[in-house]
Amino acid sequence: MGAQQREYKQRIGSAQGMKKIFKAKEMVAASRISKAHARVLATTPYADALTQAIGAVATHSQEAQHPFLQADRAQSGRVAILLITADRGMTGSYSHNAIRTAEELANTLIDEGKTPVLYVVGRKGEAYFRFRNRDPHRAWAPYSEPELGSLGQDIAHTLTADLLSEDPETHLDELYLVGTRFLSRFKQAARASRLVPMQLVDAEDHVPGAFPLYEFAPDAETTLQELIPRYVESRIVNLLMQSMASEHAATQRAMQTATDNAQTQIDKFTRLANTARQAEITQEITEIVGGADALAGSGRTER
Amino acid sequence: MTTTASAPATATGRIARVTGAVVDIEFPPGNIPAMYNALHASVEASSAGLDSAVITLETAQHLGDGMIRAIALKPTDGLVRGQDVTDTGAPISVPVGDVTLGTVFDTVGNALNLPEGETLEVTERWPIHRKAPNFDQLESKTQMFETGIKSIDLLTPYVQGGKIGLFGGAGVGKTVLIQEMIYRVANNHDGVSVFAGVGERTREGWDLIEEMTESGVIEKTALVFGQMDEPPGTRLRVALSALTMAEYFRDVQSQDVLLFIDNIFRFTQAGSEVSTLLGRMPSAVGYQPNLADEMGVLQERITSTRGHSITSMQAIYVPADDYTDPAPATTFAHLDATTELSREIASRGLYPAIDPLTSTSRILDPQYVGQDHYGTAVRVKQILQRNKELQDIIAMLGVDELSEEDKITVSRARRIQQFLSQNTHLAKQFTGVDGSDVPLRDTIEGFKGICDGEFDHISEQAFFNVGGIDMVMENHHRIQKELGA
Repeated sequence: MGAQQREYKQRIGSAQGMKKIFKAKEMVAASRISKAHARVLATTPYADALTQAIGAVATHSQEAQHPFLQADRAQSGRVAILLITADRGMTGSYSHNAIRTAEELANTLIDEGKTPVLYVVGRKGEAYFRFRNRDPHRAWAPYSEPELGSLGQDIAHTLTADLLSEDPETHLDELYLVGTRFLSRFKQAARASRLVPMQLVDAEDHVPGAFPLYEFAPDAETTLQELIPRYVESRIVNLLMQSMASEHAATQRAMQTATDNAQTQIDKFTRLANTARQAEITQEITEIVGGADALAGSGRTER
Repeated sequence: MTTTASAPATATGRIARVTGAVVDIEFPPGNIPAMYNALHASVEASSAGLDSAVITLETAQHLGDGMIRAIALKPTDGLVRGQDVTDTGAPISVPVGDVTLGTVFDTVGNALNLPEGETLEVTERWPIHRKAPNFDQLESKTQMFETGIKSIDLLTPYVQGGKIGLFGGAGVGKTVLIQEMIYRVANNHDGVSVFAGVGERTREGWDLIEEMTESGVIEKTALVFGQMDEPPGTRLRVALSALTMAEYFRDVQSQDVLLFIDNIFRFTQAGSEVSTLLGRMPSAVGYQPNLADEMGVLQERITSTRGHSITSMQAIYVPADDYTDPAPATTFAHLDATTELSREIASRGLYPAIDPLTSTSRILDPQYVGQDHYGTAVRVKQILQRNKELQDIIAMLGVDELSEEDKITVSRARRIQQFLSQNTHLAKQFTGVDGSDVPLRDTIEGFKGICDGEFDHISEQAFFNVGGIDMVMENHHRIQKELGA
């Protein structure tokens, strides 16, 4: 009986310890969400401007071409998937959702007869594929939150090089991004989107008012060559930052649930420990009273 | 004592006090009945609706001054202070030998299921108090005893001629499992079986008789009942009566005997009921102070001698699911294999609800069962143990937080848990599915396959209530077809 009580006490203790950790993590994550979200917002004007600029170049000079704009660039059948996951655990289903989205995409691609090539960001995604003996083609893990910008540059650089490569061993036909969009503090969604080949939208549709006349220097072609890698980079950085904000939001939510669950465990074991303690007390009293009664009944007197 | 034992068998005493099941009787000096002697007192039919009856009592204590204290084996209704009690001069004895087969007895050896007017021709009676076999006569060989139930064969292999305990709280399936074992083992058993119903439900005893009559097993089975409506004296002795019959088959007829006892705890409980009335000081949790001794005297007799075995299966009730309670704790030490039934597993609908982590067997050792069997059992236990440790994390953080290895462990553990359940013969009336006997080799292969991850792709439900792994595959194909359709 004493053993039972001790075990419950032990488990209450460990649940209490974990609850403290969960609570702390929850608060840390909560404070980081807004910072991370601000960074996302800060990248948006630049990304918008870039989109407009590319649209403008493409609309105004039909002769300007870039490999990323060709609708049919099928050469090697290799299709890149850039998957963004977390480095750490305790993020609820954040990484898992992104991985699942990537897996679905990979399966669709395989069904279409293409070969998915994995570029993975984050230890969770890397571990997932390594465990299944499907080593990612390239992995960036671990990574640090303050350096998302340079990480994005590095990724963009690698991917652009592979996309433009002439070698059929490394050439990539298409590029998909799989990451988690930060829709609001309470809603994030893992989504897959195609970045290359790009789909151009007419710039006029998006800018209100009269469309300005452009003059390109030195010429439209060169401008496009400069713009497109920057665009790829900005999209990747933006997604990295959105994912980071989503990760914090997911962590906050997961830790909130975990704190509640820990409390439930504590309540449950407290109740069991109380029952065990009470049973022990009752039994001791019964034994003493019973023993005394039996002694009295036997007519013997204790000294 | 030797002087009183030789006293004439006709000594008559008078009742001095009746306290429930304990009766004090005064005998004339020099004619005091020996310890364990049976005494008879007759009760006249009365207007209160009592039938006339002879009440058997057993001498339990000598109080001095010609007073003895005896335990009644029948309700003491109708006994009167001052009434005559005769000493039979011998302990309680029961019929032994072939006449006992197909017959149902009470504790004192009266046949209960004879057709009207017939009597049993008893050739030999043995007293129920006997000595345990000598040390040098004990069987030293160890051989496994296959039951065809996967969880038992794998995790708590039974010993031929050994003692097996089925522990469990109220309503987790002890009696059902012991009856399943009777169905499986007794039906295919060459020798005779003896069943002792100790303080359990009368209805279950009746069901058992019905079932045995139907299957014909009753022809080679002797049954002794002292169910929960009987006074403690009876419940304290009924196991001995049955054991005596089993001992005769073992020692005189040199047979291999199966002895089923349901439920040993009632024996302890009965001992505790009379103990205080006998004036003994209660010990821990109110049990009798000689708990270990009482249990030892019974258990040491249930044993195999050279060449002839008594294989016994005992159901043991665990009060309030507390295994540290003195009654089950005392029983543990006597057993070769302990099968523990768990409420948690029963509540998930997985029968037989055998707890894979706490159940164990003396022969689960590579020396006896072989490396393959032992290794598989250990791996199964490891996976289940790891799964148990992870439950706290899952409860708080969710399955997603586990590492990839742990996720696999959890999913295999769930398959193992389902695969430990099995379709039983007795459950046929509920499930409509025949019971299955799984050869030990298939059991080991199946669990090994799960541990190795060969069946990771098969959904958990395919493992529920099945026999061998071939049945899992059948289920799997059926599920696949249903999904495809």
